[in-house]
Amino acid sequence: MSIDFWINVAVLAGIYGIFALGLQLNAGFTGLLNFGQAGFMAIGAYTVGLLVVNFGWSLWLALIAGIVLAVVAAVAVGISSLRLRADHFAIATIAFGEIVRYVLQNAQFSGGNQGVLGFDQEWRVFTDWLLGKLAIIGLDRYTQLPLFIVVWIVFAVMLIAISALQRTPWGRVLRGIREDEDATAALGKDIFAYKLQSLALSAALAAIAGFFVALNVSYLYPSVFDPTFTFFGYAIIVLGGYASYAGVAIGSLIFWALLEGTRLMDTALSAGQQASLRFVIVGLFLILLSRWRPQGILGNHEEMRVRS
Amino acid sequence: MNATTDIILDVRDAAKSFDGLRAVAGATFRVVRGSITALIGPNGAGKTTMFDLLSGFARPDAGSIILSGHDITGKAPHRIARFGLVRTFQLTRVLAGMSVIDNMLLAAADQPGEKLTSLLAGPARARAAEAAARERAFDLLETFGLKAKLTDYAGALSGGQRKLLEIARALMTNPSIVLLDEPMAGVNPTLGRSILDHIEALRKEHGTTFLFVEHDMDVVMTRSDHVIVMAQGQVIADGTPADIRSDAKVIAAYLGGGPVESTAP
Repeated sequence: MSIDFWINVAVLAGIYGIFALGLQLNAGFTGLLNFGQAGFMAIGAYTVGLLVVNFGWSLWLALIAGIVLAVVAAVAVGISSLRLRADHFAIATIAFGEIVRYVLQNAQFSGGNQGVLGFDQEWRVFTDWLLGKLAIIGLDRYTQLPLFIVVWIVFAVMLIAISALQRTPWGRVLRGIREDEDATAALGKDIFAYKLQSLALSAALAAIAGFFVALNVSYLYPSVFDPTFTFFGYAIIVLGGYASYAGVAIGSLIFWALLEGTRLMDTALSAGQQASLRFVIVGLFLILLSRWRPQGILGNHEEMRVRS
Repeated sequence: MNATTDIILDVRDAAKSFDGLRAVAGATFRVVRGSITALIGPNGAGKTTMFDLLSGFARPDAGSIILSGHDITGKAPHRIARFGLVRTFQLTRVLAGMSVIDNMLLAAADQPGEKLTSLLAGPARARAAEAAARERAFDLLETFGLKAKLTDYAGALSGGQRKLLEIARALMTNPSIVLLDEPMAGVNPTLGRSILDHIEALRKEHGTTFLFVEHDMDVVMTRSDHVIVMAQGQVIADGTPADIRSDAKVIAAYLGGGPVESTAP
């Protein structure tokens, strides 16, 4: 039981690592407080589910459509809200996330609270194939292993790609905007266009994360995309370190190990109480970290110091 | 000055109000290409608002601004910057969490690597542009005495060094005109003089035009070839330092403070 449990923790860490990479791009490197990431994730996941179940699309083609639709949503949100002041933009994105969730909860097309079921046929075919290969080395007992492998390969590829992109002149303009958008505009940079690109790229990552969430739960319902998950993403960034992509991987592993690992505590509390206690423990850990290592595990303390 | 005076910046009847307060109330003036022009006036004369209008950070309610033949009235800051006008800010704005060299490289114009499409289509071109920009940045940092600070965070520099970096960064854009908002403020006199020397050298070498707001009259009178005087949102005088020194309206504006309607000089 134990190994399966920890494989599942690693799957969650990988999925929300992909999710938080986008937030790191926005908040850590562009200075954009995107609080609507769970909404983009939901759009990605539901697009996949609905296209496969209702229209008979291939799962993989539907994944591409999900990414495209999330990007379209990001552009719409961006065009309408990116000219707002930073804090107002943050509020607008929270509203966006809530709109998505309430629509999914109440609309007919999304199945309401019953959700969407039966889209992962092709995934299971693939899983069986991979488990067959894994049987050769005796690992086919762990049924979540294929998802773990695929999620972490995708996470690693995304992490490397976005880190490389960040080091280009394009990424430097984003950092300029994060530091001072007026000064950056005065140097001839179209800051609106860059913010829009940052948000769109982040939404694409959220959609990919959403795809894996869908495969992981194999059943889509609105509360899987509760806005709380956006804040899980921010907790991951705070843990791993602001403006560090590698920090996202470490932050996500620690976050999910803490949150899920505390399930294993043997206490006399009721299930509900213990569930709450787990969040208390995660919160305490964050407080202690901000006391002793305010920049996060891989954050740059010098960079944080010179800015204030 | 050239016999054929070439106008780089032509401002006509520019006006801007904030909640009924007329910060700039129909200002008209011209800046000659290759000149070092001072913009002076008592506090509240509208100098900084004028800079905001020229650089696109505020949109004029009326009037027109022509930069080298292009109408830039009400255009966005980044578009105006691409026409060759770059500004610094009254409160120095370095990008604190970025290194000195990154501050400089960010300012480089025409970097294909800044566009995702051209970056992915031709990474080699982006690298070549980056190498060229790096050379230029080294030269400018050398000139401004910041070469040793290359990899330091801009936020870790002293106040004077930040000022130098901001000016060097502005020059990195290859501007035709540079707007400096109080370049000497908060800088020790020696450093201030060296900033002025750099400005004069750059004007001589590249023909760059400088328009600067300054309160130190010594600096204005000795270092500029042209002075524009604003009071209460209007240009009340415009001429050589010698003209301005003896202008009755200017003296009244500085001493009297009250409205300086056109009493003949």
